[in-house]
Amino acid sequence: MNATQQYLEQLFANGNLPVTEARNKLLQQFCQDEVNSKAVTEILTYQNMLMDKWQLFNRITTIQEQPFTIPNATAGKPYEAVIDRDQQGWVDMEVIELNGLEDTGLQYDAETGSITGTPTAHGDRKLVLRYRLQQEPEEAEPHEKSIPLVINPNPRLLWKNLGSDATDLYWKEDDIAFTAPLGGKLLVAASKRGRSHANTGGFRDDDIAYGHFGQTGWSVIAVADGAGSAPLARQGAKLAVNAVVNYFTPALTGDGLPELELLLQEYNHGTGADTQKKLNQQIYTHLGKAALYAHKQLEAFAHTKEVALKDLHSTLLFVLLKQFAFGYAVLSFSVGDGVIGLVNTDQTAAMLMNRLDVGEFGGGTRFITMPEIFKNELFYTRFGCKVVDDFSHLFLMTDGIFDPKFVTEAALEKPEKWQELIRDLAGENEDGKKVELSPDNTQVAEELSAWMDFWSAGNHDDRTLAIVF
Amino acid sequence: MRRLPVYLLLDTSGSMNGAPIEAVKNGVQVMLNSLRQNPQAIETAWLSVITFDSTARQLVPLTDLSSFQMPSITASGTTAFGQALRLVASCIDREVALTTAEQKGDWKPLVFIMTDGVPTDDWNTALPEFQKRKTAFTVACAAGNGADSAVLKQVTPNVVRLDTVDTNSIGQFFTWVSASIGVSSTRIEDTGKEVTGLDELPPPPAELNIVV
Repeated sequence: MNATQQYLEQLFANGNLPVTEARNKLLQQFCQDEVNSKAVTEILTYQNMLMDKWQLFNRITTIQEQPFTIPNATAGKPYEAVIDRDQQGWVDMEVIELNGLEDTGLQYDAETGSITGTPTAHGDRKLVLRYRLQQEPEEAEPHEKSIPLVINPNPRLLWKNLGSDATDLYWKEDDIAFTAPLGGKLLVAASKRGRSHANTGGFRDDDIAYGHFGQTGWSVIAVADGAGSAPLARQGAKLAVNAVVNYFTPALTGDGLPELELLLQEYNHGTGADTQKKLNQQIYTHLGKAALYAHKQLEAFAHTKEVALKDLHSTLLFVLLKQFAFGYAVLSFSVGDGVIGLVNTDQTAAMLMNRLDVGEFGGGTRFITMPEIFKNELFYTRFGCKVVDDFSHLFLMTDGIFDPKFVTEAALEKPEKWQELIRDLAGENEDGKKVELSPDNTQVAEELSAWMDFWSAGNHDDRTLAIVF
Repeated sequence: MRRLPVYLLLDTSGSMNGAPIEAVKNGVQVMLNSLRQNPQAIETAWLSVITFDSTARQLVPLTDLSSFQMPSITASGTTAFGQALRLVASCIDREVALTTAEQKGDWKPLVFIMTDGVPTDDWNTALPEFQKRKTAFTVACAAGNGADSAVLKQVTPNVVRLDTVDTNSIGQFFTWVSASIGVSSTRIEDTGKEVTGLDELPPPPAELNIVV
């Protein structure tokens, strides 16, 4: 039975005209009629054409409807995405081109289906994948599937660097950096306005002051961080650090602190009676009075200028440092979330010299502007004292350095985190920025200032770091 | 890196079908574009989308702004608001890192709710579950006359109302949401403190009435 006969038998059966066995021969004759057989061939050709067309139509619609996305790109960041035809089940697809990548810095490789490159522009793009199916003739008009591509702006370039208002009554320099000899040691320090302030043309709220008194051999270094929510915090921080240096200046340019010095000596030699207790008393008296003096200065300023004391909210940390014949004495005081750390000569141990007032528990952070800190029973825990033969680094830093470099307070207790910071300063960082801590390096302040521009997502506060080495 | 988690709870019940749902999608898109221009937001804000109709689903898990892709959203069914509250509570438990001695956790999440109807499920029992989770703030938006601000008032003191559910007012709402996320991310970077109430956010546009 040939195809024509088979088709007609089926057709007649469907039309309720079944061909009986007896009429089989007649049907054969019917099929031999040229007109009839030609008609059947034509019908079959049309049918096949319709089926092919429907199949193609259906297939294209399926591809068009199939949700397809590629990951977002970011300007300045290497990107790679693949239009994986096998994975999408597009094995019958022949890609002609991918349009829409012009001027983006990205390229499409038809061979591998990958989009690669580093975007140079940002914005929402609509890519158009032009394709044909294998079963289609080459002259067929290509189909177009649109693929959205989001190119984020480079977050680093979104930050503006607006100068602060230099005509403001309490203006201060956005960035400072300096070095100062402290007897046998050298101080290098920088205080820089954070990106969050630069972005809005705000002021640097951090501050730093120091004094070295050759007559008595003592040095004072004070660092403060004005509270972001206090409108005159920059002035509060400035007054606080200067008050500490001013407080000690008369004594340290005169007779020094003889009683304290004697006790430090006895303490080191393990002589004298009740030395520890007397020493505590001396530290408490001298450093406590300096802190109270700073508080009073702020109070007086607030009173004179008729502003609220809390508008001057600032943290305060300071150290007193002196080299004796038996080694170095480091005395400290702190209120707030700054950090004072002393690293030993061979850098195997680090000592956190202060207790941090951290926001989330213990009733929030503390400022030198708060009278209650002086009445609190834990006031004595704000002092520190260490007598060492020598040390490799003494660090004072605000949270702008502490947050990105240590993250948690627990990390401050780990010598390896301090070693990491020292290696970071020595150039082990993604920008390869190096601070050569050597007395012969005349560029050390500039190097420290440049190093302090390090990038840390989410950490764009003012940064102050003082290093004695 | 401390993230600022942001949860969007969107009503996708049948009544939102058509222009309102299109306006919501458009609003979220505009919000994304605006936040991506904000250096603080792009570094800190992470976004999740939860929709609720006959059930609640987390369409997009907490995702950083640069990787976030707009999900396809359709509207049909009832208003399983209670389920949405339960779901966001479990998402917060799973996705938001807590602060411990060894790690600094995420900032407290911001939750934005938008609904045009009345809950059709047992939302009362879900409420305590949601309230156990600490959020920096939750803002609920009652869109149109069909929404019940009294219900939302029990969820959060911060309730705003849109008189009409049209493209313009929904767009205004999302513009304000994006400004609020921007302010929160700037504030935490600047002061290390979270925004805690409506009064610390940018003033809402005229279309948005604050329900007291």
